[in-house]
Amino acid sequence: MSEVLLDLQRINKIYNETSRHPVRAVKDLNLNVAQGEIVALLGSSGCGKTSTLRMIAGFEAVSSGQILIKGRPVHALAPARRNVAMAFEGYSLYPPLTVEENIAFALKSERLAKDEIRKKVAEIAHLLEIEDILERYPGSISGGQQQRASLARALIRDADLHLLDEPMGQLEPQLRALLRGRIKHFIKERGLTAILVTHDQTEANALADRIAVMEGGVLQQFDSPLHLKDRPANLFTGTFIGEPPMNVFPAQAEADGDNLKLNLADGVCLTYPASAFSDDLKARLLSSDTFVIGVRPHAVKITPGGHPAKVYANQWLGDQTHVAARFAGQTIVSVRHDRAHHAPGETIGIDLAASDLHIFAADSGRAFSHGGALA
Amino acid sequence: MSHIKLKNLVKRFKDTEVLSGIDLDVPEGSTLVLFGPSGAGKTVLLRCIAGAVEQDDGEVRIGGEDVTDVLPEHRGIGMAFQNFALFPHMDAFDNIASPLTACGKTADQIRAGVDTVARLLKIDHVLTHTPKALSNGQKQRTALARALVSHPKVLLLDDPLRNVDAKLRFEMRLELPRLLADQGATVIYVTQDYREAMALGDRIAVLDGGRIIQNGTPEEIYRRPATINIAKLFGDPTINLLDVVPQSDASGVYATLSDCRIQLDPGLSGNVGRECMLGLRPEALSFTTANEGVPVTIEAETPFNEKAVTLVTTLRKREILVSRPAETPAPASGTAHITIDPRDAVLFDRQTGVRLDPNGTSHAAEKAA
Amino acid sequence: MDHRSPLERVLRALALTAIVVFFMFPIFWIVLMSLQTNETILRSPPSMSFVPTLKNYAAIISGELDSNAGSMSIHFMNNLLNSVLLSVFSVALALLLGVPAAYAFARHKFRGSEDIAFTLLSFRFAPPLLVLLPLTLYFQALGLANTYLGLVWVYQLICLPLILWIVRGYFEDISPDIEHAYRIAGHGWFATFRKIALPLAGPGIAAAGLLAFIFAWNNFIFALVLASADKQPVTVGALAFVTASGIQYGQIAAAIVMSIAPTLLLALWAQRYLVEGLSLGAVKG
Repeated sequence: MSEVLLDLQRINKIYNETSRHPVRAVKDLNLNVAQGEIVALLGSSGCGKTSTLRMIAGFEAVSSGQILIKGRPVHALAPARRNVAMAFEGYSLYPPLTVEENIAFALKSERLAKDEIRKKVAEIAHLLEIEDILERYPGSISGGQQQRASLARALIRDADLHLLDEPMGQLEPQLRALLRGRIKHFIKERGLTAILVTHDQTEANALADRIAVMEGGVLQQFDSPLHLKDRPANLFTGTFIGEPPMNVFPAQAEADGDNLKLNLADGVCLTYPASAFSDDLKARLLSSDTFVIGVRPHAVKITPGGHPAKVYANQWLGDQTHVAARFAGQTIVSVRHDRAHHAPGETIGIDLAASDLHIFAADSGRAFSHGGALA
Repeated sequence: MSHIKLKNLVKRFKDTEVLSGIDLDVPEGSTLVLFGPSGAGKTVLLRCIAGAVEQDDGEVRIGGEDVTDVLPEHRGIGMAFQNFALFPHMDAFDNIASPLTACGKTADQIRAGVDTVARLLKIDHVLTHTPKALSNGQKQRTALARALVSHPKVLLLDDPLRNVDAKLRFEMRLELPRLLADQGATVIYVTQDYREAMALGDRIAVLDGGRIIQNGTPEEIYRRPATINIAKLFGDPTINLLDVVPQSDASGVYATLSDCRIQLDPGLSGNVGRECMLGLRPEALSFTTANEGVPVTIEAETPFNEKAVTLVTTLRKREILVSRPAETPAPASGTAHITIDPRDAVLFDRQTGVRLDPNGTSHAAEKAA
Repeated sequence: MDHRSPLERVLRALALTAIVVFFMFPIFWIVLMSLQTNETILRSPPSMSFVPTLKNYAAIISGELDSNAGSMSIHFMNNLLNSVLLSVFSVALALLLGVPAAYAFARHKFRGSEDIAFTLLSFRFAPPLLVLLPLTLYFQALGLANTYLGLVWVYQLICLPLILWIVRGYFEDISPDIEHAYRIAGHGWFATFRKIALPLAGPGIAAAGLLAFIFAWNNFIFALVLASADKQPVTVGALAFVTASGIQYGQIAAAIVMSIAPTLLLALWAQRYLVEGLSLGAVKG
């Protein structure tokens, strides 16, 4: 990794600190972002991602901890003195200015030449497909257009750090898909560093180099999109990342000669050769009472000889089919890349390979293993 | 028998026509998905059927009866709104009970009715909460329960899953078909999510600019989209579109891509020499180890919803997306060859964007007939 | 938002205190005055120390004013009752007429609806003096002059536009979908108005009613011209304290305290609803 641009050290945010019901929005957050990196803060609403972003921008004070940008502590500075640019979820364009004036606003105060400003605005407007509304006022354009104008106003600035708060939440799916690629290219080409707050994992996957998954104010995992998927650190990330979500079942292990048996609910028993698991993992599984196994939907194989499961939904989506069935007292979803015909009510066979199992502790949710070897 | 029938429905706001002559038939007990970008008129159309908005021209028939002059409260409709539209000053129970109180049920009947539907939707533990105290998912289920509780013959669902998180949206997408089938109602379901449309609709009507531009089964919409626009709306990653001019020789009609021949349906012979767009779904393309097919350079690979999507460029620098099931082998970099399943190729007129049908007629002509 | 230094905080607190003192001081002073006799009020130099007395209040309530020039009788309690009657009935009537009208203007846009709404508002712009003369003549001809009915009617010029415009805004803020949902659930339009629109706009209606009440209570000119002594509200009645023999500061102060007390109490009581109105963000779903 190259030079660290942003460093969050043990950040806490407590709202209503002095009241009887303080709310701990962010807990002991450590995070660093390298120069030129795009990081996504991903989580559902109330997970602390927006509070974190607002603390970096300076709109919220940290309750404790330090924020360093390029090694300089900024957490006590006013927003304007941190040299960060932000695109707001609520647009916050200046109503008396046209879209063009809004976008150029920060450049004007930087005293750039007029031609230079016009060129830059034209370029970013083209990128975000808002060329035709540059002369309009914020009040007369749609929410999606306002959002893109706000995004343009942030991206055009030459700041140390660009903060993007749900930058594409108001856009239509097709436009979102198109702009994702363009925005990533724009940021990478200029070597900008960006932090993106989103609840949409497709967006995080497509844009970010690394994703910080947050829940309940706690950082769950900070890793590359690929690792989040292949090596989830705990049950939360495991089930949060991935679409459709990971199938999970409580299970108990039992040694049986050369085999290792995993007992699931409803009398379902998965039998694997003991050699499929590393020795320390086997010991761990046999010594723990219950644990949770997780299988990604694409790894759920439907084979005639498998464990019986009763289909209750079969949805063809054009490029793939989602088959949902009752299995071990729960729903199991299998993603097929062909047009599978399993009518509701039909019994299918389910096969789960040992190498596709993720195993988590039942109490803490921490990952034991991925694909047969300890995590 | 058709349960909901719209005839030449027109709605104007001031001078702009938001619905320009909608004709639609929804057979009894079936689910029609109304799909389209925002501003296409989906919401207005739904409100016209519900009677919340009055159409300027045309008629709405429910169960064979013209309901143009029937007030919304007498149309026997259940409706769920995208923003839930729960009554903020009533608790979840009263919200769900509102359709029952209207028809003068006794307190016992109301309680029984609400309890049944609340258990079905797993919100029986939050019935005393006001909407403010409900999570988004619970709000959505409450809104759905309110639409279902009086067992209406017609259900209008206006993008009910839009404002819930991805996991719940997926679960509800699996559950909804059965729920709706058990109700036996005729359903119109509005969505912007093509996967929802494919999964839930017996038929899909694609609305754009106040008109229905295609009405077909999910299979028809996906495999034989009427226009380039529809082809782009269905499928993620989006369909590859390549400029081609079909040619023909003794062995049939074909198009070329990087000097490689892509065999087209012989029925397309009428379009030889025409400026066309060839639509190829990313999943219809695959890498081949053999030294045949279209030579490409691999640019980047991204994981995407249980798939791996590879961006490749042809010799002429045309960008093509190739997708395959996650964790299946593929060349990682350098040059490779891709093969194309010609059965999945669709041809559009480049000027009009209309699909060219192998039977010699364009889709538009087919619709007019 | 708290990148403030301790000094900034102290200064801010001081500034806020200064503002509060500035606005509250007259009221505070009047309460003090109402508890003193005329002599202690007028002594020089003025002093904050005095023996509180309730004599002023007793005099106002009994209607017997004793001054150094002799005693006179005054109908202050009657004036107070008039104020209450006029304000309550005016606001009640304005709510009865204004709330449904506001709903109609908010929900049913028809040709000219904006013009009608604006005309109603324009009653507020016209200086009362402009309409007073013709109004007086008409009222005399119709026999409405010096009647409660006539006054309540005229007070609609004050209350109705206010209620109409404020409440209309609140109705417009309710998502139409919420009402559509109730209609589609099988309820008629009147039930929807009563069960959905009214409760949701309730805080707004309370706020508008309160404001209208204060305006009606404070009205002076209509009552001065159109009402004779027995129908006069406190605003007009207070004139009686300015007598040839001098001004009875203590008694005026007591009268003022008594006349602002009802509106103040009403405002304090309604504050709960007003705050509720601000926090009922759930209206928009």
